[in-house]
Amino acid sequence: MSFSSLLLQQTINGLSLGAMYALLALGFTLIYGILELINFSHFNVFMVGSFIAMWTLQSFGLSGQSIILTGLPLVGVLLAAFAVTMLASGTLGVVIERVSLRPLRGITGPAAMITTIGVSYILFNIILVTVGADAKNFPNPLPPMRWHVDGAVLELREVLIWVVSLVLMAGLWLFVQKSRLGKAMRATAQDPEAARMMGVDVDRVIMTAFFLGSALAGAGGLIFGLYYNFTSFIIGFTAGLRAFTAAVLGGIGNVPGAMVGGILIGLIEAYGGQFIATEWADVIIFSILVLVLVFRPAGLFGRLAPSKS
Amino acid sequence: MITRRAAGQLLAATAAAAALGTGATQAATEKTLDIGIDLSLTGADADSAIRMRDGAQLAFDNANDSGSIPGYKLRAVVFDDGTATAGQYDPAQAATNARKMVSDPNMVAAVGPQMSGAGKAMAPILSEGDLAIITPSSTNPDITNPRFAAQFRPAGKPIYFRTVTTDAYQGPNMANFYAEVLHVKTVYILDDSGAYGVGLADAFEAEAKKKGIKVLGRDRLDPKASDYTTALTKIKALNPQAIYYGGVMGAGVKLAKQSYDILPKVIKGGGDGVYGPEMLTAAGFPAAEGWYATIASPHLTDSNKAAEFVKLFKTKFGIPPDDYSITSYDAGLVIVAAITELAKAHKPITKASVRNAIQNIKVPTIQGTVSFDANGDLTDRTVSVFQIKEDKAKPLNDISAQYRYIGVAPQA
Repeated sequence: MSFSSLLLQQTINGLSLGAMYALLALGFTLIYGILELINFSHFNVFMVGSFIAMWTLQSFGLSGQSIILTGLPLVGVLLAAFAVTMLASGTLGVVIERVSLRPLRGITGPAAMITTIGVSYILFNIILVTVGADAKNFPNPLPPMRWHVDGAVLELREVLIWVVSLVLMAGLWLFVQKSRLGKAMRATAQDPEAARMMGVDVDRVIMTAFFLGSALAGAGGLIFGLYYNFTSFIIGFTAGLRAFTAAVLGGIGNVPGAMVGGILIGLIEAYGGQFIATEWADVIIFSILVLVLVFRPAGLFGRLAPSKS
Repeated sequence: MITRRAAGQLLAATAAAAALGTGATQAATEKTLDIGIDLSLTGADADSAIRMRDGAQLAFDNANDSGSIPGYKLRAVVFDDGTATAGQYDPAQAATNARKMVSDPNMVAAVGPQMSGAGKAMAPILSEGDLAIITPSSTNPDITNPRFAAQFRPAGKPIYFRTVTTDAYQGPNMANFYAEVLHVKTVYILDDSGAYGVGLADAFEAEAKKKGIKVLGRDRLDPKASDYTTALTKIKALNPQAIYYGGVMGAGVKLAKQSYDILPKVIKGGGDGVYGPEMLTAAGFPAAEGWYATIASPHLTDSNKAAEFVKLFKTKFGIPPDDYSITSYDAGLVIVAAITELAKAHKPITKASVRNAIQNIKVPTIQGTVSFDANGDLTDRTVSVFQIKEDKAKPLNDISAQYRYIGVAPQA
């Protein structure tokens, strides 16, 4: 393997990781943009999403890596799995908001953030107690297609991750920019009081943000499973923390910033592992975060909406 | 559950004695002794832990049922040193468990721990409390090495006994197997940053170099991370003939999954950390196919001597045992024998007297006669090699069917 193909391979790895972080980072950024709330339950909505995805695929009779689908059945199964997972995860997000966060609306201080940490641990322990602590074999119906590009290997699942992430991110971007509800979201992010006076249903906007963010986390969970072929109750923390870092790096509250931040973190992790050492990955990632924040406290892209305080 | 079962048996024994009209006084004065069992029942190694817990439980149940210890019943108290936040064994939890064991006045000995990282945290506390523990699977040599006595047995006497040998043999013997049997010339070494994993990988590395295997590099995997493609891509670029992984299932399962895609043709192996049902159910096939694993004991589940044990285990617990169910059962037998010896001699049964009895004992067990050297290590130093080869006719979690026994690794 030559140096250039090694570099290319690590770029492929980093982009796949980054796409996953970006999907998760979007959830953090959407909710922060509107509520100025760091939603830690997002970590484990992602984890629960991966289990919902696993059960959905299993309900199609898939288990392990032995059953391979192609053509229309594959597309059908994947579409159905994405639809079910995103709907269920989105609903979970809405329920979390309705039950544990709406009653705290208007209360200043860290109460809401602490609540999200509590919810995160509840989800974590529910999965731990009900499905057990061992890693689960995630069904993967993708055919083992791979292409050799200049000495590097590109697999079908990597292409799938990129395509799905791009489609979802573009869809979100269009929604936020073009749709009525998206405009209401941006208005609420800028000034909730004024938005309310202009007739924006703020509760509905917040619910939408939770639904979309959690649905994306669910999609991230499904992608995680297809990529790594396993899931476990513990996957939320490392991935969630890095995705949160990605959101802050890009400028929390900023949708394109979260996407770029996610990709950057993924690439940093891959290159850092290659050229320094894998055990230093977290040190490298968080050092870069600190450096960026020291020089650009609002993150690489800053916030689109001005701060409320 | 266990408490209820033990209590039920006690009740049944008392009732039987009363019905017969004999021995009622003996039943009434029967004393219950606590035996600790500490394993990593939460986390990535839980399936293996259950098999060890049941193995030890069987030894105590048999002793209680047959009344082989005159005047005493044994009650197993199960501790879990795995935590949800660690996702596997947690040294802090292990230390807490050790404190609980030492402060229980009825506790006279213990089986465990499963993991060396837990053992390192427990040993100093157990040493101060003079409580003997017999591990069925933790193999890091430091814990019993006299060089580290100040750290792991500050009170002086050995309290950490093993019914398996250590990584001072497991790592090097596997390096010999790589060099002499598989004719490996180049290797890349990985560990999972745990006490066991790092020690095993170090021991393997030293012997591999001695045997002329070129070590192309060494990397450390974070068991909490999900992505090892970066490290594996780096390894792929170096094109080694084989990889060796020192570590437990947490990182091992993910390594098996991802290395199957990135390093399909590379020989892959590890220690007893990758010997267990998790490799078969969580990593699964085809990812696990072809992996080599060792255990720090002779291979027993297929032997004639173990046939009765295997049958009893399957009927009682509904799952097939693995070799560490047997080392765990053997650890239980050692404790039962030590207590029986003291009871028959009408000596007081305390933490200290049981420890002394274990130190000097020679017990016939399934793996042969178990005795310990001056540091608590097993005198037998057999390391067995296995290779995973799917047997579709047998259940996926049947270790003795899916792990094909290759033979005893060449001694270092």
